[in-house]
Amino acid sequence: MEVEAFKRLYPLPFYERYLDSSVRPDGRPLGRARPTSVSLGAVSTADGSALVKIGNTTMLAGVKLEVMVPSQETPDQGSITVDFQMPPICSPLVRPGRPVEAASVISEQLSNVLTSSELVNLSELCIAPGKAAWMAYLDVYCLDADGSLLDTALLASVAALAHLQLPAVSVSEEGRVYPVSSSTSGDVSMEGAETSIKVKGNSISPRRRLKLGAAPFALTCMVHKKHLLADPCAEEETLLQCSITITMNQMGRLVSFYKPGGAVPATTAIVKECISLARRRAREVQQILKEALEDHIESPSLMQTD
Amino acid sequence: MAGEALSRPDGRAGNQIRPLVCTRSLLSRADGSAQWSQENTTVLAAVYGPKSVTGKKENPEYASLEVIWKPKSGLSGKFEKEAELIVKRSLESIILAALYPNLGISIILQVINDDGSLLACAMNAACAALVDAGIPLSGLIAAVSCGVTVNNEVVLDLLKSEEQKNVAHVCLVFPSQPVSVVLELPSNVDEKPEKQGFITCVMRGAMDVDQYLTCVDQGRAASAEIAKFLRKSLGQSQVWALLSFLL
Amino acid sequence: MSRAASTYAVPSYNATPDLSVKGVPPSLLSPEGSRLDGRLPHECRPAYMKTGAVNAAAGSAYAEFGQTKVIVSVYGPRESKKAQAFSDIGRLNCDVKFASFSTSVRGKASQGMEEKEYTGMLHKALECAVALHTFPKTTVDVFALILQSGGGDLAVVISCASMALADAGIVMYDLVPAVSLSCTGSEVLLDASMEEERWGDGGMIVAAMTSRNEITQLTMTGEWPSTKVSEALQLCLDACLKLAELMRSCLKEQVVAGGQ
Repeated sequence: MEVEAFKRLYPLPFYERYLDSSVRPDGRPLGRARPTSVSLGAVSTADGSALVKIGNTTMLAGVKLEVMVPSQETPDQGSITVDFQMPPICSPLVRPGRPVEAASVISEQLSNVLTSSELVNLSELCIAPGKAAWMAYLDVYCLDADGSLLDTALLASVAALAHLQLPAVSVSEEGRVYPVSSSTSGDVSMEGAETSIKVKGNSISPRRRLKLGAAPFALTCMVHKKHLLADPCAEEETLLQCSITITMNQMGRLVSFYKPGGAVPATTAIVKECISLARRRAREVQQILKEALEDHIESPSLMQTD
Repeated sequence: MAGEALSRPDGRAGNQIRPLVCTRSLLSRADGSAQWSQENTTVLAAVYGPKSVTGKKENPEYASLEVIWKPKSGLSGKFEKEAELIVKRSLESIILAALYPNLGISIILQVINDDGSLLACAMNAACAALVDAGIPLSGLIAAVSCGVTVNNEVVLDLLKSEEQKNVAHVCLVFPSQPVSVVLELPSNVDEKPEKQGFITCVMRGAMDVDQYLTCVDQGRAASAEIAKFLRKSLGQSQVWALLSFLL
Repeated sequence: MSRAASTYAVPSYNATPDLSVKGVPPSLLSPEGSRLDGRLPHECRPAYMKTGAVNAAAGSAYAEFGQTKVIVSVYGPRESKKAQAFSDIGRLNCDVKFASFSTSVRGKASQGMEEKEYTGMLHKALECAVALHTFPKTTVDVFALILQSGGGDLAVVISCASMALADAGIVMYDLVPAVSLSCTGSEVLLDASMEEERWGDGGMIVAAMTSRNEITQLTMTGEWPSTKVSEALQLCLDACLKLAELMRSCLKEQVVAGGQ
């Protein structure tokens, strides 16, 4: 009971006692991230989706495709729109009606990181140059907010894009787009559609996955005095205040180094330590994602959609 | 060397920044104001406060800081929201907010023209305006942008066209004193000014770790010069100062 | 021959006629009397429920009924909004939202209207089940997010919300299981899926407190042969009873699992 009182009255000294013995109240060493899980295809109404958990932080990302006419400047490119939402279910701090400032900041960061990393080659989204292209809406919903939101949102986005399959479509000469076979109804077989298309002289683009570039993975670290904590939970984020988010891709290239102010200046030593933590984490997360993808391809759930 | 100088659209060398202009007390109604120009990039900053605030903003221990970013035209969106947060967090590390509990300080940043390095320019303008308003600070900050070109060269103080063309660029904010803003220094901080850490870093585009470290070094050197300019211009009561130099 | 682009929004100038709205309804029952997904007319979809899905909330629940996936979290009792007038009983505040990828077409214009309607209906369905006098002057917030819309969304939201309320330890008179039903011609299809709802003539949603034998909400829409109504209502109530059992056993399981 006295421990609880000490924690509530002096949260920072309480925390520092843990830090001095190089452990955190949840039992983690300072540099270790929370358990991470990725499950693909969580939402079947989306064209690609993923549910990601890092500790308690849970995000659901979904990609919806629409057909658009490419712009004049980039006739052979589709486009991708990224949005991050924090619905009121995710945190007691969010109330319905007013959008949260944190959500729009993370949304901006997320779309910057995805652009910087060149994960999606926009010409991959082209259906017929100048006539039709895919417009991908990537929406990430935070279901449970417990710190390291950008890290989780980014992993969910990457996983959803990896899960995304562009449906098979045929394009008429005027640029109309028809789905060749719908995954929801089995009444039109692939062969039947193909023959009818050939009569009309349309071109077909087959069902395919996106070819993705080197995937970016983010790690948030909190800097407090001489300590460096990886993957903070919400409590640690509010208490320690000075954060650094590093995004590295699987090739070890730095995609983003985000440090918005804070009491501790980042010296070269801190920078190097953060980067090595982020590099290790990127490898770890990449492995988790790879396993999730392999599981998903083996599992029968994909058979259903095919 | 001539070839290197010509590699940039305006003929600058990679480690050369644009001429700086800082004008203070332009606005009569604000408690403090400053206009900061890096050639064609200009931001006007106004500071109001410390003034009374109500509701959620009131904090019994600290003065609350509010940053409002006004784009050159149109409504503010997500970009502006993010920029506001970055400027706010960066300035919080130098403002002695504990001196004004229950009060608030507002900073309004009006973008007048954007020709690259906008965030850095706004950060410098805000810092100058805070000094003009007489807000107690623990030190100054100096912001600079730094980019990596397609030829893997590191260049300072980017133009808008360079930001679009280059593979990556980064905005760095350094405290302008060799002393850290926190009293208890982390033990791994080297107190030599040439090893000083940065307060803020925002990056666009991808670069190698080595390139990043070069950027930080170059940025640190440039920020020392920007801070020198800032101090000099603040030392004179109301003055136009121009600075153009080779590092 | 190819099915229209009902799953993709196509720019208006090359829009293909949306066959999913007009056109011949598919037969919802096979000659052997089984439905599109293989169920019998009076059979419910497989249901999965779990409490404690959101750690940050006071109570939460996740529900999956066939293709419908819903998450609900409950916050409070906590301070009411300042603008609210004084009230010596508690307040129940509800909010229902669709995730943008939950429906077949992204961000339909009617979605906002539907969200408002569901919010109101959820509030009405739960209001009389919650012992509001136990948290005077404060508010309990019930927030729902529909992750995947697959038919009977509102019914799933109501059932899930009452689980979340129980998880948060809010005093209730009873759980509120809710069941939807669709009427097509002479057939009533219990716990209708999206496809069945789309082609149905009429719909019904019943939310009930089964141990008190009270209905908290009954909504009927569309065209109903009068002879079918009482049969449909009885079917729904029976289904509610079964759902209540499932919800109870699920709550008990979670408590036992949590205690260990």
